[in-house]
Amino acid sequence: MIPEGELLRSRVVSELSDSLEGALDRRLDGYAVLAPRDAILFDADGVGVITFEAGVPSMAYHTETDRGGPAALADIGAGPYRLELHELDADALDLPGRTDALDVPPGMPADRLAGDAALAERTRRIAADDADADDGEPDAIVEFLDDEAAIERIRSDARQQAAARADEWGFEDAI
Amino acid sequence: MVEAFAVASGKGGTGKTTSTLALGMALAEEYDVTVVDADTGMANLLFHTGLGDADTTLHDVLLEGGAPIEAATYERFGMSVVPCGTSLAAFEAADPERLRTVVAELASTTDVLLLDSPATLGSKSAVLPIVLADRVVVVLQPTIPALSDGLKVQEYALSYGSEIAGTLFNRVRGDVGDVTAKADRYFEGPLLGTIPESEAAGAARAAGEPLLAHAPDSPAAAAYREAAGVLDPRTGDADAVADRFRSAVIPEPP
Repeated sequence: MIPEGELLRSRVVSELSDSLEGALDRRLDGYAVLAPRDAILFDADGVGVITFEAGVPSMAYHTETDRGGPAALADIGAGPYRLELHELDADALDLPGRTDALDVPPGMPADRLAGDAALAERTRRIAADDADADDGEPDAIVEFLDDEAAIERIRSDARQQAAARADEWGFEDAI
Repeated sequence: MVEAFAVASGKGGTGKTTSTLALGMALAEEYDVTVVDADTGMANLLFHTGLGDADTTLHDVLLEGGAPIEAATYERFGMSVVPCGTSLAAFEAADPERLRTVVAELASTTDVLLLDSPATLGSKSAVLPIVLADRVVVVLQPTIPALSDGLKVQEYALSYGSEIAGTLFNRVRGDVGDVTAKADRYFEGPLLGTIPESEAAGAARAAGEPLLAHAPDSPAAAAYREAAGVLDPRTGDADAVADRFRSAVIPEPP
């Protein structure tokens, strides 16, 4: 379903607040795999998967029940869990065949699985800010483009980086 | 006769693959076009062209004693399409030394070569398409991160002797005339086009078709056709381009 990401941590947790908050704080692109603590094999009784985009929960799926979205959160149920947190490029989460049926509202995992209303609210707020930013906020962009000195810094940093990497990567001939 | 373009953005989600195929299909009305998934670590092109179950991909060609490039070249939507597979293991097994020969071979048999480039500048293999291309199409979105990353792509390209074909503002909502006018001061090459955000793009991908095949009458498709018109390929000497690919540095597997 999801390409394999880089395993960040694997542990048994009795509650999910810290893990969800950690993902949010580091603006994680990736996913969490949740299994009952007692499961001997990770997928013996099925596992729940929650994906994160910039730290905000976006999709949920349960492998045993084959249900997605809020229903998958119900299938994941109460802890303690064995939790694996994986980092994955955001593009890889833009899955072919992704359907709305997998989507979860941003705050719902914190609400339903962690019972942490404050974290749910914080997650919803950050998700709303992200959506605004995606919409472009033309004023902020124009302001950015008016800052000629800042733009020149970006360009000259990139030129220096390109030159430094030309040595490292053997692109000297191209320069 | 060939000109090689890299379609690049430095940031994910800008719609590079959609743009590559849209420009490719529009140019294919006049030119012989080959589109290559140069994002070898994160294949995407195959899903946009209905080639998800392709038996042979670029990865197989790059294997020691692997398949000939013809076996991984598919005639789709009026273009030659060279997809990559999705298996990282297959990519790791591939012999990167073969890549330059492969791309040089392609360059000798087409008018326009479009390289769908990785959404990062973080590795040698990701930057290689920008180094190899004659000109780079910088795909932007009207957001600060996308503009900032687009500027970096431009500086890398210019540093490595590639020209900028122009900028393409993709997934645009509303009027961004102020943004494109101000951005124009910093980017080389013309504004190729402003492509409106389109649900048709997602639907096209889900259907395994390029946007211009799936929704040819959509405003986004029309904007891509106009952009391709501005691109004006200079079909130069094929041997010179082929030589450049052959002599180019080969990326290490990730």
